[in-house]
Amino acid sequence: MRLLKLISWQYVRKHLLRTVLTMAGIVLGVAVFVGMHTANQSVLSAFNKTVDRIAGATQLQITAGESGFDEEVLERVQAVPGVRVAVPVIEAVVNLNLKSQGNILVLAVDMTGDRGLRDYDLEEGDDTVIEDPLVFIAQPDSLMVTREFASANGLAINSKITLAAMDGPRTFTVRGIMKSSGLTSAFGGNLAIMDIYAAQKVFGRGRKFDRIDLAGTEGTAVPDLQKQLGGMLGPGFEVESPSARGKQFESLSSVYGMLANITSLFALFIGMFIIYNSFAIAVTQRRSEIGIVRALGATRGQIQALFLTESAILGLIGAGVGLLFGLLIARAISASLGNFLGEIYGVAQKADEVSSDPRLLFGALLMGVITSVIAAWIPARAAAGVDPVQALQKGRYQQLSAGENRVRRQVAAGLFVVVFFCLFFAQNRVIFYSGYFLTVIAGLLLVPTMALWLSRGIRPVLKFLRPVEGTLAADSLIQSPRRTSGAVSALALSIALVISLGGMARASYNSIDEWMRIALNPDMFLTPTQNITDRSFRFPASFAEEIRQIPGVKYTQVVRNARILYKGNPVMFVSLDVANLRPESYLPAIQGDSKTMYRLAAEGKGFIVSDNFAELYKVKYNEPLELNTPNGRLALPVVGIVRDYSDQKGSVLLDRAVFVKYWNDDSINAVRLYLNSDTPIATMKARIEEKVAGKTRLFIFTNQDLKTYIINITDQWFGLTYIQLAVAVLVAILGIINTLTVSITDRRRELGVLQAVGALRSQVRGTIWLEAIAIGVIGLVVGLFFGSVALYYSLEMSARDIAGLRLDYTYPWGMAAGLFPVILGAALFAALGPAEQAVRGGLVEALEYE
Amino acid sequence: MNKLIFVLAAAAFAQDARQIVEESQKRNRSNTQQYEGVLQVFNPNGKNSEKRWQFYRSGNYGESKALLRFVSPPEVKGVALLIVNHPDRASDQWMWLPELQRDRRVALQDRSTRFFGTDFSYEDLEERDVNQSDFKMLGEEVVDGQACWKIESAPKKGKSSQYNRVVMWFRKDIYFPVQYEMYAKDQLVRKLHYRRIEKVNGVWSALEMEMFDVRRKGRTVLKSDKLQYNVALKDELFTLQSLRRGE
Repeated sequence: MRLLKLISWQYVRKHLLRTVLTMAGIVLGVAVFVGMHTANQSVLSAFNKTVDRIAGATQLQITAGESGFDEEVLERVQAVPGVRVAVPVIEAVVNLNLKSQGNILVLAVDMTGDRGLRDYDLEEGDDTVIEDPLVFIAQPDSLMVTREFASANGLAINSKITLAAMDGPRTFTVRGIMKSSGLTSAFGGNLAIMDIYAAQKVFGRGRKFDRIDLAGTEGTAVPDLQKQLGGMLGPGFEVESPSARGKQFESLSSVYGMLANITSLFALFIGMFIIYNSFAIAVTQRRSEIGIVRALGATRGQIQALFLTESAILGLIGAGVGLLFGLLIARAISASLGNFLGEIYGVAQKADEVSSDPRLLFGALLMGVITSVIAAWIPARAAAGVDPVQALQKGRYQQLSAGENRVRRQVAAGLFVVVFFCLFFAQNRVIFYSGYFLTVIAGLLLVPTMALWLSRGIRPVLKFLRPVEGTLAADSLIQSPRRTSGAVSALALSIALVISLGGMARASYNSIDEWMRIALNPDMFLTPTQNITDRSFRFPASFAEEIRQIPGVKYTQVVRNARILYKGNPVMFVSLDVANLRPESYLPAIQGDSKTMYRLAAEGKGFIVSDNFAELYKVKYNEPLELNTPNGRLALPVVGIVRDYSDQKGSVLLDRAVFVKYWNDDSINAVRLYLNSDTPIATMKARIEEKVAGKTRLFIFTNQDLKTYIINITDQWFGLTYIQLAVAVLVAILGIINTLTVSITDRRRELGVLQAVGALRSQVRGTIWLEAIAIGVIGLVVGLFFGSVALYYSLEMSARDIAGLRLDYTYPWGMAAGLFPVILGAALFAALGPAEQAVRGGLVEALEYE
Repeated sequence: MNKLIFVLAAAAFAQDARQIVEESQKRNRSNTQQYEGVLQVFNPNGKNSEKRWQFYRSGNYGESKALLRFVSPPEVKGVALLIVNHPDRASDQWMWLPELQRDRRVALQDRSTRFFGTDFSYEDLEERDVNQSDFKMLGEEVVDGQACWKIESAPKKGKSSQYNRVVMWFRKDIYFPVQYEMYAKDQLVRKLHYRRIEKVNGVWSALEMEMFDVRRKGRTVLKSDKLQYNVALKDELFTLQSLRRGE
């Protein structure tokens, strides 16, 4: 403690700016980690709260994926001994045409028996109407809303709300306003209750329910009842506690969680280099102090502990500040994340409050401290190893010995050999990730050597450009490879991340573009929802026939898709009239012959699965695949594996006849429309609108509309990953500022001498600028090379563990070129402050330094 | 010995209780019944409502069928309920909603809920065969100035009911029920009182009954107008098809 006060505190006070910059890496890393995870948790928690609040006294919920099930299932469930109450439910998120209100969650229940599970505590309303379930159910326009929602929209009893129903806009009457309670706070208070049979009509559900909520009789053990119901209903049904829905939602948003981890860990990893760099330099600068303290009797252990404690305190403060920033940004991220998940997965969720998990916050603090301590470990050990006699000699000690560099090269070479062998056994996940990790370590070990060689390489160029400043800048880098390599490592890692993400984005856009060309070749798409991922509404089967009769329609293709659980994961099935599918719409086959697979699928003899489905669930070509349906288990062979980007969790294509038979559902999510060549799209649009005007809820997308929509979603997805880029670049800038600040401090005497012998301020400034640009160039070259390797591993990771999609390796040359001005500009920007600092220092003071 | 006498006496009382209930059902039996009902619901907060319906019934007690169709107020006009009673189990009930043009089954689990916002429950509309309950004579009491038998019924084992027991008062002179007290988990939950007891077409009938919900403190009065017995009613009237046609 005394040493801390005497040595560390004095040093920090003297180098406050550098300390802050060093800490910034930890601040950013922790802020990103806390921000992204808290946002994710907030959305998840809001979803769980909504589920809990809506569940009321529900002990078990019965579902059959998104497809729902026939009404008769309810009677079977109600007849099971041990079931006290079982009620049907339809849930839908509907867009409101009210200002600033976004979506409303409509909970449709059977008001006759639902009060056995949920308490609709009414605040106001005509009791003769509200307390009379007869009027509520007799009038299909009846709606109950929450007090919060009513107040926000100026609604009172008998007010009218227009919702876009299946048969066109429909006016609903507010027949009840619920008191604030647990239930009413579900979905941020944007909740409406309506009668389930009216909802079947409004949402085009036919005679189906989404799920059944139930509670057992007194004394009935819930697990026993769950088992009994599961056995009675068969494998097509899920009988789970309400909390299981949260797990499914979590599974959908898991990719985002993984992204949050990668981003923050990368930021921390880069931050680690900044800390390492700062501490390494600090140890060098404080050699004389260390020497004195050692000469006065301090042990090696005490010196090491001093530096490690210093780094731990730095880490703790950095993590604390990062934590606060993280919580601040979480609110903004959670709002957009809720919408984003809704757009991608069709599961909208409103997260109004930030919910922070104390374990997460503690973990983030710990992570900051550990990162900082790890980063300072080697410099602390070096400090402990300082010889008191040598330490008291003046001079700079930034140079790496030739031997030290050689050892690093040899270790790196050894690691590359191991990595090479890892590639042969990369099917094994542990070996694959070990290979990746070793590659990063080997690369980092090579950075000082590469930095040295590159510094020597660009020396003539710099000399050519600015004979004095260029030479000085290059020599500074050559003489201090340790100082340079820290900044170069941080920068190179950032650039590698940018390249790997850019490459992933490029490959994704290319693949999606190709897929859209084949899969989305109809001229128009008709859907009952504004958002194609939303499946709250469905057309009746007769709708397609109506459309088919419109003059100018060449042919139609109906689509019914929904999520079902496969091995506990929500995967997408897509049912089409496969026989009616034109060969030009066949998706590119990865395994199996296109013609054969589509013929077999059309005959109901097999499934065609997407490559990511096959990859994620280890499904093999020609092997049987079992899907659970409301009518029992459907086992068919996988007759083909195709490249399909319909869903991140994988998709299964089956024939519509099979779907209708096993799911008892002939409703439609979308109609794909192919037009006669002489029919303009605008004309067809007008004809469709004329034909169905006011009769059904309809959204018309042209081919271009849909493609734009998908590209927008992809943009949003990569937009999230660009947070990583921003963080990486920011951390790299901090690294350069830090390095240059250290460099200037380190060379204060040298810079003082230069000015004393007549160097102009502009020349000193120019030297610092060129040094920064040189670090930028070296970092770019190393980073672009590292990026090529990182891209390979990112594509593999995406295929194996994230989306299951195999994307082609495409190096993003355009992005690489674009990085030059960005990074060099950032380097120059980073150099402005330190350069000014260098020229403003007092000459005498500078010459006295050290 | 004393014990044996007690057992025999208790058996004789039990037999009497069941016989009284059977006799009551026999005396008030009719092939068909129809009336126009007025339902007045008096809510504890002072807000009252009134609904009118037409009621039709056919068949013997315990295996009868009944149809009631609301005629007012306009919001519920056309809503109908079909009840098919069974001698050995709880009744089947379907509701018809004209605005939605569809029927919906009233689940057994929902029979304890309030019947269309009144103080009656769906179960209270059922007719139960004597074989579905056990009866016990509790004694004799005077109700509304009339000497009555006080009989308790409890559902037989395996028969579902929201009530674990119902205490009934039957007028001794005409074997007609005048009052019921329904208990759930031995707590009094509802009281039904028959008033304006008159002989119509040779059948004793209560032209007014009042149900009092002890828990919510609300009461519902059902008045019967134009009551007739043994009128010609077609069997088809009591079918789902008829319910759906809105006949």
